[in-house]
Amino acid sequence: MSVSTVTKDQFKSFVAALVDSDQKVVGVQAKDDKFAFGELTDADNLRLDYDVTILPPKKYMLPQKETLMSFKVGGAAQTVQPDEKMVLIGVHPYDMVAINQMDTLFSQGQYDTHYMNRRNNITIIACDVVTPSENVFASSMNTATCDSGFDILLTDIGDTFVVEAATEKGEALVKTINGAKNADAADTDKRKAVQDKNVASLNKHQLECKPSDLPDLLEKSYDHPVWEEKAEMCYSCGSCNQVCPTCYCFDVQDEVNWDLKTGSRCRSWDGCLLANFATVAGNHNFREKRADRFRHRLYRKGKYVPGKIGGQIACVGCGRCISACTTKIANPVEIYNTLMEKN
Amino acid sequence: MCECCNGKKDIYLPELCTITKRRMLNGTELYMHLEKEDGGDFDYIPGQFVEVSIAGIGEAPISISSSPTQKGMELVIRNVGALTKVIHKLEVGDKIGIRGPYGSTYPIEAAKGKDLVFICGGIGLVPQRSFIRYALDHRADYGDITVLIGTKCHDMRLFREEIALWEERKDMTVMETIDEGHDCWNGNVGVVTTLIPKVESHLPNSQILVCGPPIMYKFVLMALAEAKVPEENIFVNLERRMKCGVGKCGHCQINELYVCQDGPVFRYSDLASVPEAI
Amino acid sequence: MSKPRVAIFDFACCEGCQLQIVNLEEDILNLIDVVDVVEWREAMSEQSHEYDIAIIEGSITREEDAKRLEVIRSRAKILIALGACATMGGLNKLKNNFDDLNEVRECVYGKDGQMPHLNTFKTKACDEVVKVDFKIHGCPIDASEFAQILRSLLVGKTPFVPDYPVCVECKANENICRYEYGEVCLGPIIRAGCGAPCPAAGRECYGCRGMVDNPNVEAAQEVMDKYNLTVHDLKQKLVLFNSK
Repeated sequence: MSVSTVTKDQFKSFVAALVDSDQKVVGVQAKDDKFAFGELTDADNLRLDYDVTILPPKKYMLPQKETLMSFKVGGAAQTVQPDEKMVLIGVHPYDMVAINQMDTLFSQGQYDTHYMNRRNNITIIACDVVTPSENVFASSMNTATCDSGFDILLTDIGDTFVVEAATEKGEALVKTINGAKNADAADTDKRKAVQDKNVASLNKHQLECKPSDLPDLLEKSYDHPVWEEKAEMCYSCGSCNQVCPTCYCFDVQDEVNWDLKTGSRCRSWDGCLLANFATVAGNHNFREKRADRFRHRLYRKGKYVPGKIGGQIACVGCGRCISACTTKIANPVEIYNTLMEKN
Repeated sequence: MCECCNGKKDIYLPELCTITKRRMLNGTELYMHLEKEDGGDFDYIPGQFVEVSIAGIGEAPISISSSPTQKGMELVIRNVGALTKVIHKLEVGDKIGIRGPYGSTYPIEAAKGKDLVFICGGIGLVPQRSFIRYALDHRADYGDITVLIGTKCHDMRLFREEIALWEERKDMTVMETIDEGHDCWNGNVGVVTTLIPKVESHLPNSQILVCGPPIMYKFVLMALAEAKVPEENIFVNLERRMKCGVGKCGHCQINELYVCQDGPVFRYSDLASVPEAI
Repeated sequence: MSKPRVAIFDFACCEGCQLQIVNLEEDILNLIDVVDVVEWREAMSEQSHEYDIAIIEGSITREEDAKRLEVIRSRAKILIALGACATMGGLNKLKNNFDDLNEVRECVYGKDGQMPHLNTFKTKACDEVVKVDFKIHGCPIDASEFAQILRSLLVGKTPFVPDYPVCVECKANENICRYEYGEVCLGPIIRAGCGAPCPAAGRECYGCRGMVDNPNVEAAQEVMDKYNLTVHDLKQKLVLFNSK
């Protein structure tokens, strides 16, 4: 596939044309002094120099709440499948890695049509990081760059973007950018310099081991005192789950319409830190202790989910949980490093 | 099924089945027999569960209590939550949503030629009954069959007529106990573990199948360890919140295992490094 | 099948939660399609002693109110507490912080404070007087949550009411955490279900839905100095809706 360059002005014109088309366009925009993915109505609002978004782009594949089916109360149900197409602009490499993991998790074994239809309807324009966020540790997790999942990858090399089309969908889109030129060696060298810098420097927290060492580290850390110590300050508020690009647990609830005859079955985000996540009918809670729930999240990221996706660590170093945790106990790097000290 | 799903089925969509029989087994447990609307077979193996739902109320995992050797499917549903309360009000002819079957199975093949000991506490008898009936329907395939049943009190006893028929059979041993004594009860009194010494000599060479309330496992497994039963020969059937049934939603996870996929039936020796299991 | 009969009663409150029901606007028509409203002082003049569902707004602050509530309970199959005053005493429990209620009466009503119709006792939530089947939280209640809970009850489903903190919904809505602005937000210990409208509007959570079942209040206290706040700040915030 092709690698080209476009000036920032040319790219803005391209985004403006997309926004004007029938296509739904979602991009990163400022929200007070932070950033969030949202529907773009003006190309000027796109901020590819952002540090990190409050929520990951996961919300477009697995929305906070979505309808799975509609039904007659007490009767038959019909599947409700998403079919909205969109272009998603500005996905950082660590979030791209997370999306790739989720794609595997929702398609392996039992194929989740709801997630996969949304995913397949999204064209992803990823971009390399320009501004590191306050808690990013993607370098530690080998997720400062990414090499798959996107349709197009942008790299800011000054007043120009290097534009790599990685799929046919991406290629077709790049062809619509007026003024795109084939990238020369100097351009790709500059791109490599940006990526090399990110590989070294997206690291506000340094994990003291290779990510691939985490499953073994956790294997012998189950009864480590850190779980109890940290969990004393845990609200069980699930903030760490909510902002995580690789958390995908969900709950399902039925809602009934005013006619009391029809309704819909909806799924919404859930979180393993929440008090009653493992409570069954009859009120027996199989993970009642805060410390057990606190440990479970770190084990899912570093051991359990990796077991389902070929060893990939399910923490991508975005640092969102570190920022979101009010009591500042969620930092995975700090916890994993603590486990290493005492082992 | 639609074009956008690439011909793939919606894994969350229940199929409507018809309630063809129903009766209360005791004050809280409803037995129901289901048939598919198209008259087809339910394709399941003892040990598996289904997701049962009523549109508008919700969905919950329920163990299958029948054997695939019989027509239709039987469930036993305790009136314990929002959904089951509504299910208890359903009548013969009413429809109910079913997804599945899901999960692992009892070792119906691997256990062939071997002695079977079922240890059942309370509604733990419900899924165990699936394998018991299957084994009785393939009687020549299995060795001795022993069923130990513990129930909290006399009034809570399940499948009384069926157990009476089992007791009459010469080709199986059934022992029953209740936790609290009762005027109408002449049998054993005590928790189900008190029956274990009575069959102790039998245990080390049997496949032991255990299902009961969460508190029961620890004590039964201690008794089995004392009786020198190898952990490879013990199968436990665990309950968790299997919300989606398809290994996605995360609610039923015990350490790295998903009860809805890797369980609900586990070989006990496979749970050595799964501290959340028991 | 005849429609369930619903009666709405108010006790000590501002009637703002009833107003939220009125604010259902066109859905009011849907509501009266599925239930018979047989008594609702704020919206109609009829009264009735026969009802299936009693909806109680307000807290109980007088002996005669407690007796009236007991009578309502005896007539209703289902009793719903509507809004913070009914579910937990709400703002009216502010007075419970004073040892001497005579002092409170004088403070509020001056020299008329001792008149007999102003008799008062320590504020009680409905469930401190009678059995409450369901609670619709909030000050005021959220009209769409009210509608969802009512529809659930009408089809025989136990309504879904979250037992997790407001943070869950606040994060899902992509609000910026109020602690980042140096404010004491009660979100981490308060029951969700409101959709976190206050943080979305730039205000901290005041706790009007009451605490989750197992709040980590110790953590809330300990975290204060991380944000240059004090435990006193936290207690000041809790007093408004979460006085005992």
